[in-house]
Amino acid sequence: MTILEAAAALRKRSVSSAELTEAALTSVRELNPKFNAFITVLEDAARAQAKAADAELSKGTDRGPLHGVPIAVKDVFETRGVLTTCGSALFKDNIPTRDAAVVEKLAAAGAVLIGKTGMHELAYGITSNNPHFGTIRNPRDPDRIPGGSSGGSGAAVASEMVFMAMGTDTGGSIRIPAAFCGTVGLKPTSGRVSRYGVMPLDFSLDHMGPLARSVRDAAVTLQTLAGFDPRDETSSREAVDSYVPADGSSIRGVRIGLPENFYFDRLDPEVDAAVRRMAKNAESLGAHVVPVRVPDIASLNAVGRVILLAEASAVVEKYAGRRDQFGADVMALIDQGRLVAATDYINAQRLRRVMQRNFAQLWRRVDCLFTPTTPMGAPRIGETTVQLGDQTEDVRLASTRLVRGINVLGLPALSMPCGVDRRKLPLSLQIVGRPFDEALVLRVGAALENAGSGA
Amino acid sequence: MKNWKKIAEASQLPIPEPDLDRITPSLDALEAAFRPLTKDIPDDVEPAVSFFVFPERAE
Repeated sequence: MTILEAAAALRKRSVSSAELTEAALTSVRELNPKFNAFITVLEDAARAQAKAADAELSKGTDRGPLHGVPIAVKDVFETRGVLTTCGSALFKDNIPTRDAAVVEKLAAAGAVLIGKTGMHELAYGITSNNPHFGTIRNPRDPDRIPGGSSGGSGAAVASEMVFMAMGTDTGGSIRIPAAFCGTVGLKPTSGRVSRYGVMPLDFSLDHMGPLARSVRDAAVTLQTLAGFDPRDETSSREAVDSYVPADGSSIRGVRIGLPENFYFDRLDPEVDAAVRRMAKNAESLGAHVVPVRVPDIASLNAVGRVILLAEASAVVEKYAGRRDQFGADVMALIDQGRLVAATDYINAQRLRRVMQRNFAQLWRRVDCLFTPTTPMGAPRIGETTVQLGDQTEDVRLASTRLVRGINVLGLPALSMPCGVDRRKLPLSLQIVGRPFDEALVLRVGAALENAGSGA
Repeated sequence: MKNWKKIAEASQLPIPEPDLDRITPSLDALEAAFRPLTKDIPDDVEPAVSFFVFPERAE
């Protein structure tokens, strides 16, 4: 069942929010010991919210499609009076006094908050193998990582504990778990969703977005969250679009760029085939697939890594002396960031501007890009390298290779399932759009999903 | 390549030597990828320190 199906059932009174919430809590009780998707479960609060939602709906007060629907948020979103750890020992007792803007908006929409999902420590990594709160496991294969850093959100949605879970994405942290767990993940344009009340990993690369069971559910969530927030200095005043594609929306005439360089290098052949199959499917729905050469993404990734290392280390500098409170992988990244020269950071931000301009030229020729989200399916827990063709690649660098650059550019990107590999592991398509053109990205994704391409 | 140990020492960063040894290959690899890019930045390009997306640049 999707959010939109649950919303319809709630309004037909064929199910109540209390029933949906009880089913979610039962599912969490049964599955969380296996997957470790949640750090905090809010049983009593969720039941109270569900009861209130049922009462409002019965009186005709309708807050929209999320009203009465069980959801979760990553443990990086501040929740007033509720533990918010950021997956870190530093914040193991942190009880915020405010709600993040995202949490405020979800509450105003009547969503039922089941709990706070686990994550890679400080949102700084892609395995979600957390030394303080335990290893999060992939519901598609519990011996494999769910991806990260929003690994708990991916696991919670993929195992159907909740309908939607919020994640954050600094270098792929929504899209990678979506890809590895076989869910939809949406990273909106920079400035589209407020960062207020989200514990930062990075000042200029962090984005907030949903992991969901369907493209339309991701669209419904974005519709709820999008908009200007004066409390976030990078929040955009760009008008909010209508994001939820109408049934039967056409993609006839949409120009889809299929990169000839970079994005199809060093892939599992099954990923290559699955993404190209999606392009063919889009073509059969009336879209035009256009071969394009994209600007130098390897250089864009290098720029993104310099920015992230420097900014993330600046964020945690005051805690860096407490080395025993960090996992080894995160401490290593923080140490690297402390050694980045100020001139290199500034030049990385200048290169970012140059590359943003170069990339913008592409939108004269196409409306969106199709790429793989990750070069391979989910690695096993504990694997540090993957073999892609004749090359051995670091798991973290391989997992972020096709997604990191999009954060540097601030563009909207949707990850959606596009089949499974020989091991039944999910494969994922990434659709990248123009700035603030989430509506088109979601319309293309929904059309493919409607046509049965997202299975 | 840069001598990361000397940079850490000069910056008075208390990073244990084994930890520095572990991160040196990553820093060297990033240095090799990033350094050549800085040579061609046009002089008048300003940093995107406050990063905004400009929709008008989409066309």
